[in-house]
Amino acid sequence: NATTSDSIKHSPELHQIQPVKLCVPPSGFIRKLPLHNKEARPSWDSPMQFVLACVSYAVGLGNVWRFPYLCQMHGGGGFLIPYLLMLFLEGIPLFCMELAIGQKMRLGSIGAWTAISPYLGGLGIASVVTSMYLCLYYNVINAWSFWYLFHSFQSVLPWAECPVNANRTGYLEECEVASPTQYFFYRETLNISSSIDENGGLHMGQALCLLLAWIIVYLFIVRGVKSTGMVVYFTATFPYVVLFIYLIRGVTLHGAWNGVKYMFTPKLEQLANPQTWINAATQIFFSLGLGFGSLIAFSSYNHHNNDFEKQAVVISLINSGTSVFASVVTFSIYGFKATFNYESCLERMRLLCLNAFDLSEESISAENVTAWISHLNITHPERFAAIASKIEHCSLEAELDTAVEGTGLAFIVYSEAIKNMPLSQLWSVLYFIMLLLLGMGSMLGNVTAIITPLADIKLLTRFLSSESINGLVCLLCLLLGFGFTSRSGSYWFTIFNEYAATLSLLFIVFIEVISVCYIYGLRRFERDIEDMLGHRPNWYWKVMWAVVSPLLLFSLFIFYIINYIQGGTPTYQAWDKDLVRSGFSNITVY
Amino acid sequence: MLAGVLLLIFLPPLVAKDLCKDSQDGFKVRLSIKTGLGDDAYEWNESEMFLFRSTLAYAMRKHSNQDTYTIDNILVCNDTQRVSFVFVVTSTDDPDQLIPKEQVELAVRQNKHRINNAFLLSDMTLEFMGIPPTLSAPIIYDTEPWLIVFGVVIGAVAVGIVALLMSTVSKKRRAKEKAAGLSEEDEGIVKENGTALSSLGRKEGVYNQAFSNDDRFTKL
Repeated sequence: NATTSDSIKHSPELHQIQPVKLCVPPSGFIRKLPLHNKEARPSWDSPMQFVLACVSYAVGLGNVWRFPYLCQMHGGGGFLIPYLLMLFLEGIPLFCMELAIGQKMRLGSIGAWTAISPYLGGLGIASVVTSMYLCLYYNVINAWSFWYLFHSFQSVLPWAECPVNANRTGYLEECEVASPTQYFFYRETLNISSSIDENGGLHMGQALCLLLAWIIVYLFIVRGVKSTGMVVYFTATFPYVVLFIYLIRGVTLHGAWNGVKYMFTPKLEQLANPQTWINAATQIFFSLGLGFGSLIAFSSYNHHNNDFEKQAVVISLINSGTSVFASVVTFSIYGFKATFNYESCLERMRLLCLNAFDLSEESISAENVTAWISHLNITHPERFAAIASKIEHCSLEAELDTAVEGTGLAFIVYSEAIKNMPLSQLWSVLYFIMLLLLGMGSMLGNVTAIITPLADIKLLTRFLSSESINGLVCLLCLLLGFGFTSRSGSYWFTIFNEYAATLSLLFIVFIEVISVCYIYGLRRFERDIEDMLGHRPNWYWKVMWAVVSPLLLFSLFIFYIINYIQGGTPTYQAWDKDLVRSGFSNITVY
Repeated sequence: MLAGVLLLIFLPPLVAKDLCKDSQDGFKVRLSIKTGLGDDAYEWNESEMFLFRSTLAYAMRKHSNQDTYTIDNILVCNDTQRVSFVFVVTSTDDPDQLIPKEQVELAVRQNKHRINNAFLLSDMTLEFMGIPPTLSAPIIYDTEPWLIVFGVVIGAVAVGIVALLMSTVSKKRRAKEKAAGLSEEDEGIVKENGTALSSLGRKEGVYNQAFSNDDRFTKL
């Protein structure tokens, strides 16, 4: 290269035409490598695979079971305002930042943060440990989905009816007091013990399903991004197909519009409640899966010039759009279930009145039950008093107001709605396949966050092939995960779900933003982005990264700490089958 | 004389009503025809009551294995608009004797499905107060259906994993053989920094900044 520049300098003809710009390539840019270079980093076959992998990771069970609950609690359609605001203030900037770090450093989370500053390696380790916790308990949900999926292949869904008692005169008492769907979840699926102290044994069916879940995860990640890249085409797109089918089925159900109308009527007074804004911020934060190191891992397999900025915006918008879409489906299902319960309640009251007063069947219809009840109360008070204890006040609003989130929504409320649909086996199979794909897609990201830093450790890769490392990680998580399949496993699940990742993630991402902006330096980061994308990030990104997102994260973190301190001893809800009236008792855990 | 004859004629029904009304051995029956059948509901009239009494007589016959029960042995009272009433069963030997409650209950439980079918109703819509319905026994499977589906899925996945691992092993073996044969052709192969060789197969090539016409690079 030096000789070329000399000859051009001294060549008069070229001087006359135009000045020639010479390029001096940075040293070591091109180097000769042996043909079978073990250090060549694998990469996605196309940018589309990367986008789909991120979508599959970010769109998970939280979009289906947490967002509709928040929407309902915080004023329906009005909740979209704080939600979208937080998306632009913290969601998209932080997402873009993690993608940038991974794509620039081309290493997993430990390597990437160590490259920024050797003292920050702990940040990467924190991400890996948090991902480990998540992997342990998240796959248990997939095990439950498998259990329900396999049990859908029966002529009568097992959660549609209570099992018959020993002398066949009636149904089991535990099932009578609760409902068949609750009984199936707590007794048959979990075989839950009455408190976290009673371990019970392993539930063999659950253990088998967990084994299957981990084997499938291993199958998806065994070859790293090569296998993951194939799988995400399916896991990212098929849930949308099912959601669309469910949308059509949902809005055509009787009473679905009650639910959708109820949900979308905005109650703007909720915006004055600070809890609304806090929940919107945390939902955006956790829904995008920031801080686990999965995004850094995924983008470390990108080409150097991949346009991650545009992809970050697209993926975040897809994630939020899916939340809204899923909540429309959920609310039409809610509406159907609430209407069904309301009409059953009216029917029960009608029969009660007919039987107690021996009136002919045509005299009371579902519409005038309430009128008749008050009429009978006035005209025959003594006879009415006999049945007064059994009279329920049937209200559609009360049914719609029962908001459920989490596993209760996914496994109890939804299955109750499904059992009342015609062709319930088909809808059940479709629904649980969708839950499985959402859960598996997120698991791919979580496990990739662990195996990518491990693959960067030269010591390990010298002795073990990548398939063995991946297998060992899956095996370890499986063995530890068996604890969640014991009879008290669901309580341990609740502990992990509420405390394992939440606080640590806020802290991790806060330190990430501070490190990138102030330790690494925002100017250096801008130059790196220009190197990758060809243009500098504009003022929106810089303001968010340097000022707004750190402030938001810090205030969320402080709020969580205050909540922990003020909350006192944590409590959990236990299912006690000896309690006659209600299944749940609040137990204090020490 | 006439009074005596009249008394004789009207006594049995009066006595019968007393037997039915005051008795401890009677059962209350409730039918919900409109609820059960909707638009196909039939009217409850004397003929339907006749059918009911005859099905009960049939049930008593089957239970006691005596062919002596007739429709006159079934006495009915307390008819209401709801379509509910009370019935008692008199003994075949002595019309004033009633069959005990437990016997009637057993007879009804044994033949409930026949009685239900005679009226096109079910256990929910044709209720005998005090006689719990016998629910159908749970189906016992040799192998639970869920285990079968589980077996199919885990088998398929296991086959997939084994196939993948074998193809990895065979690829590595082939690569090793090629390396042994082509080790002298190492020189002159140029790769860009760290990306896999396969990416160079793309048609548009790779943007190599070393040769870009960018202003920030050194000017002559």
